[in-house]
Amino acid sequence: MSAEATVRSEHPTREAARVFMRSPAAVGGLLLLAAILAVALAGPFVLNVDPFDITAAPLTPPWTGDALLGTDQQGRDVLIGLVYGGRATLAVGATAALISILIGIAIGALAGYFGGTIDEMLMRVTEFFQVLPALLFAMVLVTLLSPSLPTVALSIGAVSWTATARLTRAEFLKIKQLDFVAAEHVIGAGRNRIIWKVILPNALPPLIVSATLAIGTAILFEASLSFLGLGDPNRMSWGLMIGSGRSYMLSCWWGVTFPGLMIFLSVLAISLIGDGLNDALNPKLRERR
Amino acid sequence: MKRWLIVSALAAASCAMTGAAAKDAKRGGTLVMGQSVATSTFNNAVASGTGVMVPGAQIFASPLMHDDKWNPEPYLAERWEVAKDNLSVTLHLRKDAVFHDGKPITSEDVAFSIITIRDNHPFNTMLKPVDTVDTPDPHTAVIRLKHPHPAILYAMGPPLMPILPKHVYGDGRPIKTHPSNTKDVVGSGPFKLAEFKPGDQLVLERFDKFFIKGRPLLDRIIIKTYPDSQTSLLELEAGRLHMQPFFNRVLEIERAKSNPQLAITSGGYQAIGGINWLLFNNKKKPFDDIRVRQAITHAIDREFIAKALHKGLSKVATGPIHSSFPQYSPDVTRYKFDLKKAEALLDAAGLTKGADGVRLKITCDYYPGDEDGQKRIAEYMKPALKKIGIEVEVRAPADFASWAKRMAQKDFDISMDAAFAWGDPVIGVHRTYLSTNIRPLVFTNNAQYVNPRVDELLAAAEREPDADKRKVLYAEFQKVVTADVPLSWVTELPYHTIYSRRVRNVPVTIWGTASPMLDVALAD
Amino acid sequence: MSLLAFLARRLSYAAVLVLAVLVLNFFLIRLAPGDAVEVLAGQMGGMTEQIRADLQREYGLDQPMLTQLGIYVSRVAHGNLGYSYFFNLPVTSLILERLPATLLLLVAALAVSVLAGTTLGVLASRKPNGPVSQLITLVSVVGYSAPVFWTGMLLVILFASVFPILPVSGIRSAAVSGSWLVDAVDVARHLVLPALSLAIVYLAQYSRLTRASMLDVLGSDYVRTARAKGLSERTVLFKHAFRNAVLPVVTIVGLQFGNMLAGAIVVETVFNWPGLGRLAFDSVLRRDYPTLLGLLFFSSLLVIVANQITDLCYRLIDPRIKTS
Repeated sequence: MSAEATVRSEHPTREAARVFMRSPAAVGGLLLLAAILAVALAGPFVLNVDPFDITAAPLTPPWTGDALLGTDQQGRDVLIGLVYGGRATLAVGATAALISILIGIAIGALAGYFGGTIDEMLMRVTEFFQVLPALLFAMVLVTLLSPSLPTVALSIGAVSWTATARLTRAEFLKIKQLDFVAAEHVIGAGRNRIIWKVILPNALPPLIVSATLAIGTAILFEASLSFLGLGDPNRMSWGLMIGSGRSYMLSCWWGVTFPGLMIFLSVLAISLIGDGLNDALNPKLRERR
Repeated sequence: MKRWLIVSALAAASCAMTGAAAKDAKRGGTLVMGQSVATSTFNNAVASGTGVMVPGAQIFASPLMHDDKWNPEPYLAERWEVAKDNLSVTLHLRKDAVFHDGKPITSEDVAFSIITIRDNHPFNTMLKPVDTVDTPDPHTAVIRLKHPHPAILYAMGPPLMPILPKHVYGDGRPIKTHPSNTKDVVGSGPFKLAEFKPGDQLVLERFDKFFIKGRPLLDRIIIKTYPDSQTSLLELEAGRLHMQPFFNRVLEIERAKSNPQLAITSGGYQAIGGINWLLFNNKKKPFDDIRVRQAITHAIDREFIAKALHKGLSKVATGPIHSSFPQYSPDVTRYKFDLKKAEALLDAAGLTKGADGVRLKITCDYYPGDEDGQKRIAEYMKPALKKIGIEVEVRAPADFASWAKRMAQKDFDISMDAAFAWGDPVIGVHRTYLSTNIRPLVFTNNAQYVNPRVDELLAAAEREPDADKRKVLYAEFQKVVTADVPLSWVTELPYHTIYSRRVRNVPVTIWGTASPMLDVALAD
Repeated sequence: MSLLAFLARRLSYAAVLVLAVLVLNFFLIRLAPGDAVEVLAGQMGGMTEQIRADLQREYGLDQPMLTQLGIYVSRVAHGNLGYSYFFNLPVTSLILERLPATLLLLVAALAVSVLAGTTLGVLASRKPNGPVSQLITLVSVVGYSAPVFWTGMLLVILFASVFPILPVSGIRSAAVSGSWLVDAVDVARHLVLPALSLAIVYLAQYSRLTRASMLDVLGSDYVRTARAKGLSERTVLFKHAFRNAVLPVVTIVGLQFGNMLAGAIVVETVFNWPGLGRLAFDSVLRRDYPTLLGLLFFSSLLVIVANQITDLCYRLIDPRIKTS
C-alpha cells in the first residue's frame, strides 16, 4: 500500500487528467457543464432584460410565437427565465454543497481519526442532525429564516453534511489501521499531517463520489424546496420556475419540463464529471487497466 | 324586493330545492366530491371556510334555506314571522325532526345553537344584535334583537346556522375544541358522518330518519381532499370524481370545458361574494396619499388580469360589493387602465423618478392559498408597477400564519387579499371598512381606512329593515369607498362547479354546495 | 466488548438523542412567526380579543417557554404528542393513521432500489469499462440526476394524458368495493408510480455506490490474494468482494431512511399520497405545531431505530471495526 502511494505521487495530477480525458462520458459532462455555465454567466449580459417581464400572452406554447420555448402562466418568456435562472440555481447548489462538504469532511475526519470520546461526541452531533429528515428540517429552517437565496443555501448546507461525515469517518477508521499510517506514526509525523496529508488523500476516492453527489444533491434540494413553494420569489431560478409552474403543468408542460431539464442536465454533467474524476483518481482502478 | 317584509312563508311540500328535479334523479348511489381545502372540523357554528361549511351543511340542518334568487325558504323552521317592530323573529319548527342519535330537535336546541354561534362564530357581526332566544314551547323559538337586523334572514341559512344538539355540545366543555366537532358528530341534517380521515377524505351517509321524507336521494357522499386542482380535474376526467365545487382554477375550467363527460356551472356562488383586492397600508407613507393609491389602481390592467390571466373566467371587480349581490351598485368611481394618468398622479404626489427610473420601492404580500386569485396577481404587480416607476418586491409568505401576522401587525406596503361576503354585506363586507374594526387581526380593516361617513352609512344599513332603502344606503357607501380607494378591487372570484354529466340537480342555490344536497342524484 | 454491552450503550445514546431532538424541535418551532391562535383566527376569518385570550390560555401559549417545554417533554414521555391545532385530534392518532401509507411507499421504494441497485452495481463492476457497465452507469447517472418531483411530474403528465392506465393520485379509488383482493390490487396500482418515482433516485445512488466500492474492493490486496489462490470469479465476487463492498451501501441505506422519508414529502405531494410526508408538508403550511413536532419526533424515532440497526449490521459484517 505505502509503495503504491509512492508510485502514485510521481505525476498524480497529469496522469489523472489523462485518464479523465480518455473517458468520453467525463469529457461530455465537462463540456455540458461548461456550456451551461457560459450561458448562465454571459446570457444575462447579452439579453439584458427583466426575466419577470410579461412578454407575450400567457401560456403560449413553444415554437408557436415569438417566445421560442413558450411563455408561462404569467406570460413570462420561458427561455429568458432559463437563461437568468441558471445563475441562482447553480450558485445556491455550489454554495450549499461547499458548506456541506466542508462540515462533513471536518467532522468525519476528526471523529474517525481520534476515535474515543471525540468520536462519540461528534457522531452524536452527526446522528442528531441525521435524525431530522433533511428536507423537512430544511423546510423548517427556510420558513424560519424566510426564503431567500442565502438562507436556502445555508439551510441546505446545514442539513446535508451528515452523509459525507459518516463516509469520511468510515474511511478514516479503515485507513488509520493500515500499515503505512502506523509507519508515519513511527517516524513521528504530527497529528495534522497524518489527518490531512496522509489519511485524507487516501480517503479521497470514495469522498469524491460523495462530494459529487453533494453538489448534485444540493441543486436537487434547492429545486425541491422551490417545488414546495419555499424558494426566493424575487430571484428567477429554475426551481422557482418549476415551483410556480407546478400547478399548471398539465396545461403548460413546457413551464416545468424545460427548467426541470436544465436541472437534470446540470446535475447530470456534474455526476459525469464526478464519475470521471473517480475513475481517474482511483489508483487501484488504474492499476487494473 | 322587500324580502324583509315577507313575514311568513308556508312549508313547501317536499321542500325547497330550486327548479324542477331531473326526471331520472333516482334514489341511491355514492357521490364522490372533491375539495381543495382540508376539513378541520364539522362544527360550522364555530368555524368558517368551505372545508367546514360544505360538510357542515350536510350534517346539520339550519332554520332556513334559500333558493337561487335570494328568497328564504322553510327548512327546519316550517314557518317564521318577523315582528312589526323588527325586533324579534319567531321560528316555528317542524315537529318530526330528530337528531342523528334519535332525540327530537326542539326550540331549546335552536336557542342553544344561536347563542353559541353568536358568541363563537368568527363572523362576529352576523348575530351580534341577538339579545336572547325565548322558547315558549318545544317547537317555537323567538329570537329577540337589540335593534332591527335584516341580515339575520341570511345568517339563518345552512352554512351559517347549524342546529346543534344541546345534549351533546352543551356539556360545559369549550365548544371550539369540543371532541364531538370531529368525532362521533351528532347532527341534525340529511347526512351523518360515517368516516373521517383527516386531510384525506370523509364519508357521509344518508340519515334515514331525516325530517324531509324521501330525501336525500344519495346513499352516500365521499368528500376527498385534493390540494392540487390539476389532480381533481384528472380524477374528474377519469370518472373517479363526480363533482368539484368551489373551483376557481382557470386552466382546469378551460380544460374541463372541452371534455364531453364534464359540465360546468358558475351557479351556486351568489351568496359567497368573494372579491380579490389589493390592500394599501393607508396609514403608511406614501399610501396615505390618495393620489398614490389612485395611481397604482390606474396602473393595474384589470382587463388583462380577467381576460388573459384568468382567461375570461373572472370578472373585473368595480367596488366593495360583489355584483351578484342585490346591494351591488354599478354607479361607482372607476379606474381605467391609464399609465399616463398614473404617472401624472405620482408626479403630483411628489414621487418623481430617480436617475434609474425608479420612484419608489415597495413590497407586495399576498394571501397564500389561492394561486390564480392571489399569487399570480401579486406576481403581476411586479412588471405592471415597474411601468410607472414603482419597483415591487414580492414577499412570498411561507404559510398562512406568516401572512396573517404581517396583516395583523400592519407590517406591509401593499398586499393581495380577499374576503367573502357570505350572504349579506353585514356578515362579510362591513368588517373591511368599519373604522371600529381596525384590529390586530387578519381579515379586519387592515387598510386602516377611516371615513366617518362610511361608518354612518354602514351602521344605518345594518339596521334598515326596508330592502330598497338599504340598497340606497349601500349605493352611497360604494360610491364613497370607491372614491377614497382605500384598497384596489381587482377581480371577483371565478368560482365554478365542475361535475360529471351523471350528476343530477347540481346545487345552484345562492349557497350552492354549502347547503344540504337533498335532490342531488347520480344517473347511470 | 460484548454485543449486549454494545447494544446497551447504543440504546442509552439513542435515549439522549431522542431527548435532544425533542428539545431542538421544540425551540425551532417556537421561534417560528405566527402562533396557533393566529392560525385559528385566520381560519375563522377573525376572532374577538376575549376568544383570543381564552385560546391562548387553553393552548398554554401564555406560559413561559421553559414551562411549555417541560409540559411538552413530559407529555411525550407519556406517549401523548398533543392535539393538532388544525384538526383538534390527537397527533398520535393522526400519525398512526398516516403511517401505513408511508411505510408501504417506503418499503416498496426501498425494496426496488436496494435489490435492483446492488445488482446493477455488481454487474457494472465486473467489467468496469465494458458496454454493459457504461450503459448501467449512464442509466443510473440519469436516474440520479433527475429531480424526484420532476420525474414524478413527467410520470403524472404521461400517465394522466397519454397513457391513462395507472392512477396518478391517492392511495385507492373512492368507491367502496368490500372485496379484499380488489382493494389490494387497487392499492397496488396506485402504488406503482409513486414508488417508482422514489425508487429511481435511490436505485441510481445504490448502484453507483455498489459499483464504486466493488471496484475499490476488487483492487484490494485480499481480493488479489483470493484470486491468486485460484478461487473462482463468482466466489471472489460474492464471498469476498461483495461482503465488503456492501458496507457503504448498508451505511447509506440506514442513512437514507431519513432522506427517503423526506423524499416522501415531495413524492406524496406530487401523487397526493395520504402519508406522513404530505401530513408534514400540510402541517408546515398550516403552522400546525403539535403535528409538526409530533412528526419530527416520530420520524426521528424511526431514523434512530434505523441507525441502530445499521450500526449493528455494520458491526456484524465488518469484523475490522472494534468498538473498544
